[in-house]
Amino acid sequence: MDFHERQLERQSFTQRSLLVIAFLLIFIVVILFRTFSLQISNFIEFDKASLNNRTYSVPVQPLRGKILDRNGEIISENLATFDLVTIPRDIKDVEGFLKKIENIINLDKDEIDLYIKNFNSKAFFNRELVLKRNLTEIEIARFEVRGFEHKEAFVGKRFRRVSRYDEIFSHVLGYTGSARENNFDEQNRFRSNSWKDAVFSYANGLIEGKAGLEKTYNKSLTGIFGIKQFEVDARGRLVKELSYTPPINGENILTTLDIDAQKVAANQLGKRKGSIVAVDVETGGILAIYSYPTFSVNKMANGISQLDYDDLINDPDKPFFDRSVAGRYPPASTIKPLVGIHALNRGQISWTTKINDPGFFELPEDGRIFRSWGEIAHGLINLNQALIRSSNTYFFNLAYNSGINELADDIEKFGFGSTVCVDCILEDEGLVPRPQWKMNNLNFGWFKGDTVNIGVGQGYISATPIQLAHYTVTLANKGMKKPLFLNNSLSEKIPSSEIELENFNQRDWELLHKAMESVVESDYGTARRIRDKKDFPIAAKTGTGEIISLDSREEYERIREDQGLRDHAIIIAFAPAEKPKYAVTVIIENGESGGSVAGPVALSMLKELLKE
Amino acid sequence: MIRKIYLDPYIFIGISLLAMVGVLILFSASEGNGTIVIKQSIYVMLGLLLFLLVSQPDPDIYRRFSPLILFGTLILVFIAYFFGPEINGARRWIRLFGFSFQPSELLKISLPLFLGSFLFNKKLPINAKQTTISIFFILACFLSVYIQPDLGTGLLIAASGFLVLFLAGLSWVFIGVTIGAILIFSPFIWNNLLEPFQRERIWTLFNPESDPYGSGWNIIQSKIAIGSGGLFGKGYGEGSQTHLNFLPETQTDFIFSVLAEEFGFIGVLLLLILYTFVLLRTFYLAVNARDRFCRLVIGGFIFTFGFNVMINLAMVIGLIPVVGMPLPFFSRGGTSLLSIFLMFGIITSMSTHRKFIAK
Repeated sequence: MDFHERQLERQSFTQRSLLVIAFLLIFIVVILFRTFSLQISNFIEFDKASLNNRTYSVPVQPLRGKILDRNGEIISENLATFDLVTIPRDIKDVEGFLKKIENIINLDKDEIDLYIKNFNSKAFFNRELVLKRNLTEIEIARFEVRGFEHKEAFVGKRFRRVSRYDEIFSHVLGYTGSARENNFDEQNRFRSNSWKDAVFSYANGLIEGKAGLEKTYNKSLTGIFGIKQFEVDARGRLVKELSYTPPINGENILTTLDIDAQKVAANQLGKRKGSIVAVDVETGGILAIYSYPTFSVNKMANGISQLDYDDLINDPDKPFFDRSVAGRYPPASTIKPLVGIHALNRGQISWTTKINDPGFFELPEDGRIFRSWGEIAHGLINLNQALIRSSNTYFFNLAYNSGINELADDIEKFGFGSTVCVDCILEDEGLVPRPQWKMNNLNFGWFKGDTVNIGVGQGYISATPIQLAHYTVTLANKGMKKPLFLNNSLSEKIPSSEIELENFNQRDWELLHKAMESVVESDYGTARRIRDKKDFPIAAKTGTGEIISLDSREEYERIREDQGLRDHAIIIAFAPAEKPKYAVTVIIENGESGGSVAGPVALSMLKELLKE
Repeated sequence: MIRKIYLDPYIFIGISLLAMVGVLILFSASEGNGTIVIKQSIYVMLGLLLFLLVSQPDPDIYRRFSPLILFGTLILVFIAYFFGPEINGARRWIRLFGFSFQPSELLKISLPLFLGSFLFNKKLPINAKQTTISIFFILACFLSVYIQPDLGTGLLIAASGFLVLFLAGLSWVFIGVTIGAILIFSPFIWNNLLEPFQRERIWTLFNPESDPYGSGWNIIQSKIAIGSGGLFGKGYGEGSQTHLNFLPETQTDFIFSVLAEEFGFIGVLLLLILYTFVLLRTFYLAVNARDRFCRLVIGGFIFTFGFNVMINLAMVIGLIPVVGMPLPFFSRGGTSLLSIFLMFGIITSMSTHRKFIAK
């Protein structure tokens, strides 16, 4: 190999190795470029990802706001209960630990089995585990005395949602129940899997309002979840706590309800099915709203046995059903003041117009007889007398002479056929029937007789107790309509509106109030039973709601045997009559007599509300 | 009595720095595990000693003994395969006095030595017969490692052999034909020769988010670790990706990500400068080596080393699929470290011993 060849070889080697080294250098530049892109250009993104990786935020449950009555008295609150909480990672020997605890606190088999089942995973992830719920004071004391021996266990405070009035506020108050995490707005603030590690303030975990005020105002009652931020490793094990943002407890709700009035309502209604609604005439705030049968909210919120629950669900009297806002009843004779207003306003009659009441009304078209209650002949009477005596014939006549649509329009002006409460739940609209409705729903044409029936609040028309209460408030306020509400903070926000009645003036209202007062005061008044028991003037109108339409008194006596078919007793009342402050509606199912059965109940309510 | 110590100061300083930084990063990556770090430090000491030792003899000795060295290495590889313990489904270790030893690492040295020696006195450019013989040896070495199985090391060993051939003047026609053939047969390779997990790794590269908790996890977490390091890093021992175990294989394949997370882009830049410095210095030594044997061997060594580094880095930053290849000087593992020192020792020997020009 000569020198020249050697030179050529060297040259070839140099060229080829230059090629390789160039390739490697380009490689290095590419790597540098890529690293630059990761570390500098996309730093923010990866920094966030890294933070996201190593931190784990769990929600900390706030306490629900209290629900208060109008005087600030507590209706619903959070009661502390105590659980025995353990830290499994600090427990080396489970069996031994449980034995030690059993010496102090009695553990049943289910508790031990559940504990052992969850022990390992909780230990691995370094989470807490509850060994026994709802410790008694004695158990707490026994444990605390020996607490120094158990660094791995402590008594943890857990709350329960409890109402001080287990059954009387049930429908309006509602109850809480376990919630799914995605029902909370906070879900965006936390990773979906973090809810399983949430720090719960309540013994039964995530809760939300399921009915009543608890549901309507769930959002403000709930409050805002706090955040406990942990450092975690790749397997999700908690390394240490990084930060803690405490939760913001829910807002208290000051309601318009009055505990004492509600108690009276519950006492007065007793074991009779029905509803009582009492309203502040000046504001429209609901003071009492009671429906019977009822149920235990505390059981519903904190654990009810399947058996008890099935009993409630299968009860034919439907305890969960809120009669006050969703029960459809015929308004019966309580509608008569409205029909009177309608007839006066439309110029059909005047206060002096007299109509003969022979005890029945005969429909001219087909001779069909519409009977008066009790079939009493009142003779020639005017509107005032017709209201006092609750003459059916008089109002059959008024309705007969009205167009159904005009009559329905006026009835609707008073809130019938629509909801009247701003913050009630599952409110029914009732029904103000019209020919179109009958055609659509019953596939039948409208008969004049249908209109005649509406004149006495019977037939297709139906109203809820709360609609009747709203109507009573409107009557008491002389046509000023006020939507009803439960949350005291709404009192300033709800606009009232005047019902437009061109030909019904202040004097007419006064005469109407007088007539309603006479319902109680007059010897002929249907509510005269309460006249001597009151100590303030009351304006009222009674009603007796027929469940089935009958042709004669005798027939009713026959069906009376079946208690469920007896007439409903209804009364609407407001007091003091000259300057109304409170309005009350009472409906007692199958109570038969508005005046003598519902009347005393209404009186008790008004007495309670008007006591100094 | 030693009259002269054969030493290239640049190489010595370069690799000493790399080895020290390596131990430093490993200390963090192993959560300050003393055993691991002391063991690695001992390997570094042993390595430096070995480096100085093999620097001293005249390279002709390596040339003469290269067939024996290759033969010996292959025997050890087979001993590991047939008698060694199975760890993570692979048989590539020999256990001796509590130390694990991975002979396949040595093939990266033995094979270029042998090929350099084989081609030492052949007429260049090499002819078909010599090419065939060389490729036979390359394939033999590759297969002996591939069956362990250890595709990463196998490919690196094959690369070291082919680099020697390439530097020796492998004909461009042959290279062109081979690359063409590989391209043509690549669908066949994809379907038949690659294991499902290897295919998955390649797919994952292009779309790691498709399976963030499965095959995509490693690369996603590595990118997060590197990216979140930013310009200056999170600080030594402060890498959350590393220390909270989000980053996998921190002591081996993904140790670069640890450095990148804790020392940031500045750290990465310094590391690459150090590697480039060693690379360029050795390249200079190769070009100026005293004879063909030295040239080919130094070239084969250093370029294999370079590719090894680049492949590891490209892998952890998500440029190429995860192939399981440690980062020289950094990844935990004694044999790897010792063989690198051995390699640089031989390079030093080859570049410091002058030869009387014959004739």
